Amino acid sequence: MSFALLIRHPVFSIAFTVLTYALATVLHRRWRWIPPIVVACLPIMALLLLVREPYEEYNRGGNFLTWLLGPATVALAVPMYRHGVALRRSLPVLALIVLAGSVVGMTTAGLTAWLLGAPLPVVMSTIPKSVTTPIAIEVCRELKGIPQITIALVILAGVLGASFGVPLLRLAGVREDRAIGAAIGTSSHGVGTASLVHHSEMQAAVSSWAMAAAGVFTSLLAALLKLFLR
Amino acid sequence: MIKSLSIQLVNSLIGLAILIAFFLLGSWLHRLGVPIPGGVLGLILFFLALQVGIVKLGWVERMAGLLLRHMVLLFVPLTVGLMELGALLSKQALAITASLVVSSVAVLLTTGLLGKWLLPAHPAAANAETKASQ
Repeated sequence: MSFALLIRHPVFSIAFTVLTYALATVLHRRWRWIPPIVVACLPIMALLLLVREPYEEYNRGGNFLTWLLGPATVALAVPMYRHGVALRRSLPVLALIVLAGSVVGMTTAGLTAWLLGAPLPVVMSTIPKSVTTPIAIEVCRELKGIPQITIALVILAGVLGASFGVPLLRLAGVREDRAIGAAIGTSSHGVGTASLVHHSEMQAAVSSWAMAAAGVFTSLLAALLKLFLR
Repeated sequence: MIKSLSIQLVNSLIGLAILIAFFLLGSWLHRLGVPIPGGVLGLILFFLALQVGIVKLGWVERMAGLLLRHMVLLFVPLTVGLMELGALLSKQALAITASLVVSSVAVLLTTGLLGKWLLPAHPAAANAETKASQ
C-alpha cells in the first residue's frame, strides 16, 4: 500500500490530527505564547502539500472531528448552568450587558468590513467573530459566509482579548471582577476565559457564562438579521 | 482499578450519548424550520433540562469537561482548510483585520463599561464596604 493511500484513510487523518494536537498542547504547556491551533495545523498542511493530496481527502476523516463540535456546543450548557446558580443576583444585568456587547460586536465587525469594500460573503463571515468557534461556524453558515474566514477571525479575536483585553479594560477604568469577566467572555470566548483562570475565579466564572450567553444571543440576532435581509 | 476505570468509561460514554442526543434533537428542530443553529438549540434545551432536573449534572460533567477542554482539536480540520483560501484572504486582509480590531475593542469597552455602571454591588464586596465603614 502506498503512502498516499494510507493518508486517504479517514482513520489516518483523525489519528494524525490527534497526534499533532497532542504535540501542540505539550509545546503550549512549556511555552505559553505558542497558540496550540497553529502548531496543530502546520504539520498537517505541510504533509498535504508534501504528498500533493487535496484538502478534501484529508477532510473525510477531519469531518468527523468537525461534527463533534455540535455536542461540544451543547456541553457549553454545563458552565452556564453551574455558574448561573452562583451568579443568580446579577444575572439579569449580566444578560443585558452581554446582549449589548453582542449587538455592538456584530454591527461593528460587519460595518467595518463592508465600509472597506469587502464582498458580502466576507462581511457575513466577520459578523460572528466574537463567539465560540462551533457557534460562530454555524452562524456563519446560516448567513452564507465563509467558515474558514470566521474560524481565523474567532481565533484571532480570542488571542487579542486574552493578551490585550484586561489592560484595555484597566485603562478604561473597569476593575470590577464581574465586569471584566463579562467583557472578556463576550469578546473573546474560550481563549479569553482560559486566560482569566489564573487571575480570579470570579472573573473566569462570569467569563464562561458570558461566552455561552453571547453564543446564544448572537445566533438569535443572526436569525433576526437573516429575516431582515430576505 | 480496572473496575473503576471501566465505570468511568461507561460514565463518559453515557455523557457523550446525552450530549449527542440533545445535538441531534436541536438539529432536527432546526431542519423543521427553527431559525437557530442546531447546536445552539441543543444547548438551550440541554440547559433547560438541567434547570428542570430531567438531566443531572453528574451524568454529563466528565464528558462535557473533556469536550470543552479539548475543543481546539475539533476545529483543527476546518482551520487546515484555510490553506485553500490563501488568495481570498490576502486580497481582503485589510478589511478583515480592521473589522477584527475595531469590533474587538468595541465589544470589550461596551460590555466592560456597562458592567462597571450597571452591575449591582457584589454581596462579598458590599460586606467588605460595610466592614470598612464601621
